[in-house]
Amino acid sequence: MDLKKLKITAQKDIKSAQNLAELNNVFKKYLGKKGELTRILRSLKDLPIKKRKTQGKLANQIKKDLELIIQERKDKLQDAKYKIQNTDFDITAPGKSPVLGHLHPLTLVRRKVAEIFQSMGFTIVQGPEVETEWYNFDALNIPKEHPARDLWDTFWLKPKNKKLLLRTHTSPVQIRYMEKNQPPLRIIVPGRIFRHEATDASHEINFYQVEGLMIDKKGKITVANFKAIIDEFFKGFFEKQTKIRLRPSYFPFVEPGFEIDISCVNCLGKGCSVCAQTGWVEILGAGMVHPNVLKAVGLNPKFWQGFAFGVGMDRLAMLKYKINDIRLFYSNDLRFLQQF
Amino acid sequence: MIFSYNWLQSFFRGRLPKPKKLAEILTMSSFEIEKLEKKGDDWVLDIDVLPNRAGDCFSHLGIARECAALLNLKLKTQNTKFQPKTQNLDIKNLLKIKVENSDLCSRYTARVMIDVKIGESPEWMRERLKVCGLQPINNVVDIANYVMLELGQPLHAFDLHKISGKKIIVRKAKKGEKIITLDNNKFNLAQDILIIADEKNPLAIAGIKGGKKAEIDKNTKTIVLEAANFDKIIIRKTRQELKLQTDASLRFEHGIDANLTEQGINRAADLIQKICNGKTSKGLIDFFPKKVFPKTIKLELDYIEQLLGVKIPKKEIISIFQKLGFTPIDQSIGVKKMLLVKIPTFRLDISIPEDLIEEIGRIYGYDHIKPIFPLAVLTPPKRNIDCFWQKKVKNILKETGFTEVYNYSFINEKDAKIFNWQQKTLIELENPLSAEQKYLRPCLIPNLLKNIQKNQKRFNEIKIFELGKVFRTGLKTGVEEKRMLTGILTGNNMFYQTKGVVDLLLNKLGISNVWYNEQEMFICKTKKCAEIKINGKGIGFLGEISAEIKACVFAIDFEKLQKHCSEEVMYQPISLYPTAIRDLAVLVPREIKVADVLNKINIAGGKLVRDVDIFDIYEGEKIQDGKKNFAFHIIYQAEDRTLTNKEIDEIHNRIIKVLEKNPSWEVRK
Repeated sequence: MDLKKLKITAQKDIKSAQNLAELNNVFKKYLGKKGELTRILRSLKDLPIKKRKTQGKLANQIKKDLELIIQERKDKLQDAKYKIQNTDFDITAPGKSPVLGHLHPLTLVRRKVAEIFQSMGFTIVQGPEVETEWYNFDALNIPKEHPARDLWDTFWLKPKNKKLLLRTHTSPVQIRYMEKNQPPLRIIVPGRIFRHEATDASHEINFYQVEGLMIDKKGKITVANFKAIIDEFFKGFFEKQTKIRLRPSYFPFVEPGFEIDISCVNCLGKGCSVCAQTGWVEILGAGMVHPNVLKAVGLNPKFWQGFAFGVGMDRLAMLKYKINDIRLFYSNDLRFLQQF
Repeated sequence: MIFSYNWLQSFFRGRLPKPKKLAEILTMSSFEIEKLEKKGDDWVLDIDVLPNRAGDCFSHLGIARECAALLNLKLKTQNTKFQPKTQNLDIKNLLKIKVENSDLCSRYTARVMIDVKIGESPEWMRERLKVCGLQPINNVVDIANYVMLELGQPLHAFDLHKISGKKIIVRKAKKGEKIITLDNNKFNLAQDILIIADEKNPLAIAGIKGGKKAEIDKNTKTIVLEAANFDKIIIRKTRQELKLQTDASLRFEHGIDANLTEQGINRAADLIQKICNGKTSKGLIDFFPKKVFPKTIKLELDYIEQLLGVKIPKKEIISIFQKLGFTPIDQSIGVKKMLLVKIPTFRLDISIPEDLIEEIGRIYGYDHIKPIFPLAVLTPPKRNIDCFWQKKVKNILKETGFTEVYNYSFINEKDAKIFNWQQKTLIELENPLSAEQKYLRPCLIPNLLKNIQKNQKRFNEIKIFELGKVFRTGLKTGVEEKRMLTGILTGNNMFYQTKGVVDLLLNKLGISNVWYNEQEMFICKTKKCAEIKINGKGIGFLGEISAEIKACVFAIDFEKLQKHCSEEVMYQPISLYPTAIRDLAVLVPREIKVADVLNKINIAGGKLVRDVDIFDIYEGEKIQDGKKNFAFHIIYQAEDRTLTNKEIDEIHNRIIKVLEKNPSWEVRK
């Protein structure tokens, strides 16, 4: 039998096999135990040595080639069979997801705030939630019987003579940190705070604030610098080209003091229900650290100055995720929490 | 505070901007306008006057002064000089004044008005009072209120004929004294309350509310007008004690310029002359032992730029001060540019250079300050290790399918009872808003259980956790505050799932020496409860709560946990040689623990036993009573060679032998 001819007919047979059974027959015909090529290979031993060498080489090569083509044909036929079997496969049926957990939206906001400020060199600092009157008020230039104390409705602890309270802001940590660390310094203080006031869609008895403080040599940290830092923060936080504006305000621990509005992230300043049609949203209190605060921690206001600010994290989260009721954060309804 | 647009306009010859525009200008440079509303022909502005500016801006004159400064307008000159229509009666013959506490009443000014006709006040005055939210009463009372709204000086009027002994005494209340106020409320006066009295009775609670005794009525003919300056702290304390806030107390407790009394009393006398046909008796009683003079403040011009970050020309600075009614005097010495600024006494808020810089900043306009990034040393932020582990733990629990919750920091009385916490260990609130905030939470479990209850209707399997502060009485400051990590899983027989979560968590935190001790906890009504120990020290517990509450809880002291956490991970080389698995089943008495058997296997097996997995625990049918069956896969592997069957058989038989040393244990072959 002419080997080359055998190869050509075998190739034809392989090609014309229309299913796996036919292909198997073709395999048997040529490469099976009694297959034509197998027979030739077996008969090689009877040939003279010279011819045996050339013929043997050729026959083995053809065997390899045929095996390869059969495998290819087999793959093709198998795929085709699989496709036919799955013609009714419904890709629109829902996927099966693994069960993941969820972090609280305020945790997510806190992380984002921390990330932005850390990138500008601010260190994260924390402090106690139960505070003394000294740290929460007096050291912050809010003396006893001062009407400004009414700005912070306070939960007091028993016994009252101990003068312990639930911190009404994160500002006491400014004092605690400056007592132990020399400027220049840059910190943010995220944490839970408490207010003794009736709850409604925008008021809670406990909520979260992040405090910022940057102190450096006199003349090095200005209102202009504060504007740059806070503008960068809001742009990063909302990932939008927000604008800011400063209005005069009063907090005893800063002078000058201001309130910061950002252009409404909901309507981009056009006016909507979120911003009461003004295009601006009040969001943050700030100012240049009052000399009395620096004195309270033993820093000489002749040599040091800086800015401080406080922003409600619940409020940031509400604006970011378009949440209209602060109480949702503490209601722990899984239908709410599992959206984050 | 409510202000009338028309009233403000009356201070100027020129036109004010339209109400909306004016509101915008005031908001950006003075005070936020909380509401702007049309009321008849007038507009009502609800102005959020900042507390430090109450002294001068709780009045239309004050806001008008702000408008003048911001809009560069000139205020009309005020009713220049009071011209009393006097009778020859000298006030000294009509009334005596005695101030016993000059520390609490720094000034007391009085006039006596004669032949006053009590009636309705004129329409225009009634209108203005109503726009500002005050009810007209009679002409004299209305005038007193009107002057307060106009100038910021509270006034009071007494009927002279009702004053016993024709003598007014400013003193502290005596024991047992009472007063019935104008609105018919009775108050018992504590001894630290400052009152206005006659020879017999209290006539008014100083600076807060007048009394019934010397009330102006329709028959009143002769009145005493009072314009005084009371100490802000005593007024604040008294109104808090009596829970009695009035328009007068609001102004006094923020502090008022003592120089204002005379202006106020003369304005009122003038109006009484015009409106009530009254005449003014000769003279003014004015108790004013310590006069108040304008302050001067030194301001270095360089400091303005150092604080604001913008250079403002000297000319402009001087102009701003002048617009505000301050008097700047150039005091430059060589290159050191300096201003000496004289401050009118009504600006109680200004006492240091920074206060002056704030005035410059807001009038110049914060919008005109361009943002500039600070130049600072490039020190990287310090790492906060507390935050790091908090973040890590939250991430791990999230990955295992937990949802994070945030609860209130409080528990109620009922919670405390249910959990059997002793009151002396709890921190109680002095002034809770409701019974829900009786105590600070000593533990996160009560609120987490409420979360479960709330969500159970809609969710079958709940896995929640919280990482938050808990509070107990402590030694040092009285309060011990620490972070707790607590999670709950709902479902039947969740102990092992929960233990698995804790195991995984601790493992991911790089903690290896973990042990669980049997422990009874008040919270867990089942026997399935264990203490979690690391290196022999307890850090928390886990356990199933009760038969009805099908949930398992774990609670870990986060401060203790954090001390054991480690970021170190060391790679263990993967053996190149195959593993061999042999199964082993052992029948043991029921009280025997898995750990007992595992220990024996591990010790007997040595280091060629790579791992032992328990894959079945069985008791019941086909097993004799009081016994149970453990089935293990034992995985054998060496790091340096392929183990032969012979080697494995040897170890395996050794293990069996060791187990069977115990006569009640039986290895099933």
